[in-house]
Amino acid sequence: MQIYENKYHDTQDRAGMSSSEVTIPSDRNRQRLLEFAIPLFSFGATLAGVLLWQMGFEINFQFFAIGCVIGSCLLAYLAWIRPKKDIVALSTPIYAFIFFVVPTDYISGLTLQLLYAASLTLLLVRLKYRFGLSHTAVSLGKELAAPIKSYVEQTRDAVTGISPETAHRVAVVISQFSTGEYGEAARAASTVPGRSEELTGDPMLVRALEIVHEHAILLEQSLSRPETYRTFLPEDESLLAKPLLPTYSEDRKFDAMLDNALLYLFSAAWHGAETDRPHLLACQGFLLKLLGE
Amino acid sequence: MKIGNVEVKVSNISIAVFVFFTISLILASQFSPEVRSNLIWMIPALFMLLVIPVALNYMSRSQYADLEPEYEREARTVRVKLINENMMGKVVRIEGVVERVHFQFLNRPQFIVADRSGAISVKMFTSPDDNIKVNDVVVVLGQVIRRFIVTGEPVINCVSIRKKNAPAASEK
Repeated sequence: MQIYENKYHDTQDRAGMSSSEVTIPSDRNRQRLLEFAIPLFSFGATLAGVLLWQMGFEINFQFFAIGCVIGSCLLAYLAWIRPKKDIVALSTPIYAFIFFVVPTDYISGLTLQLLYAASLTLLLVRLKYRFGLSHTAVSLGKELAAPIKSYVEQTRDAVTGISPETAHRVAVVISQFSTGEYGEAARAASTVPGRSEELTGDPMLVRALEIVHEHAILLEQSLSRPETYRTFLPEDESLLAKPLLPTYSEDRKFDAMLDNALLYLFSAAWHGAETDRPHLLACQGFLLKLLGE
Repeated sequence: MKIGNVEVKVSNISIAVFVFFTISLILASQFSPEVRSNLIWMIPALFMLLVIPVALNYMSRSQYADLEPEYEREARTVRVKLINENMMGKVVRIEGVVERVHFQFLNRPQFIVADRSGAISVKMFTSPDDNIKVNDVVVVLGQVIRRFIVTGEPVINCVSIRKKNAPAASEK
């Protein structure tokens, strides 16, 4: 039961995004406009209808529901472009159709449209505050998220000595590991240290590969933590993404070894294999989870 | 209720619907001769309200029971944190504590299961063998899917969730 006592600490895992991610400025402005447009269309069309009726133009009031329909579509679009989807906001166009397809008279139509517009506005606020930011260059896999970028820069000097071929092999290890192909990841990790003459310049990289190899084999065979396992050395500590705290239980230390090893390998592959960067970017969601972002 | 080797569970909603319409039919037949003359098809229809959910539950549970040994063979035991978007379709086994349970009354339960590394949604499309409650330590077997099939974060489409140390269906 001990292992369950220390449940997750990384609350942002659930949000699925780092707070440091920012939307591209032009997208942000466009989205702000769309956010303003939702109450504007939904209330505006109905109020325009009221004005026209006051002026004596008694047009079928159902037509003024078009603002609510447009508002629903915009809200659904804003929900769609977020990495975390809100099923309620996504389904509002269907509700708009159901509510407004039937002809109504002036009073009931006005009440329904105003209530619907108010609901859309509330759902917009809920979307903004509960479902986070829209897609960013990071979530679209076009650039590195700030915490990973910072770590990659921090370890640049330590990993710059490796050849593109070795870096490519390291990138394969990360890619296989992130897809859950642990057997393949173990095989890939064991083939890289074959080039020992090159890797002796970076013993930490060798240790990282050995750690990933060990964990991949254990995962492939669904085995639990062994009594003794491979670790980084005290001199590696300054280059670890997640420092090992003395308060950590043995299980957390074991997990942190793998997280640190994968992050270090990511940095090595990022600097050494530029052609593999698109594949590495595809794995960064996984790496962000390991970092606790 | 047990049919063959399969323990069939009817949801509370199905029972409530059956009870509601039974009472309505009894009352209506007391006051309306027209209803009484139609009882010959109304009573079987009423029983179908119970028979159809039982049949569906039996089919889904027997299907899940068939899948479980296959999943047992294929699954890798992973930490929740290792489950990510690149693992769609992978069969995994996780161990953790149940933090929340939703929709159990509909026989479509959704659990939030957490281990020391993180938490994940576990969706099930039938009732589990065990009565799973909050704070139970469980072993989950399932496939990684997206929350809304084509989009959304990774969740586990659960084939089996049982309390830790409880025997697997194939061992019972």
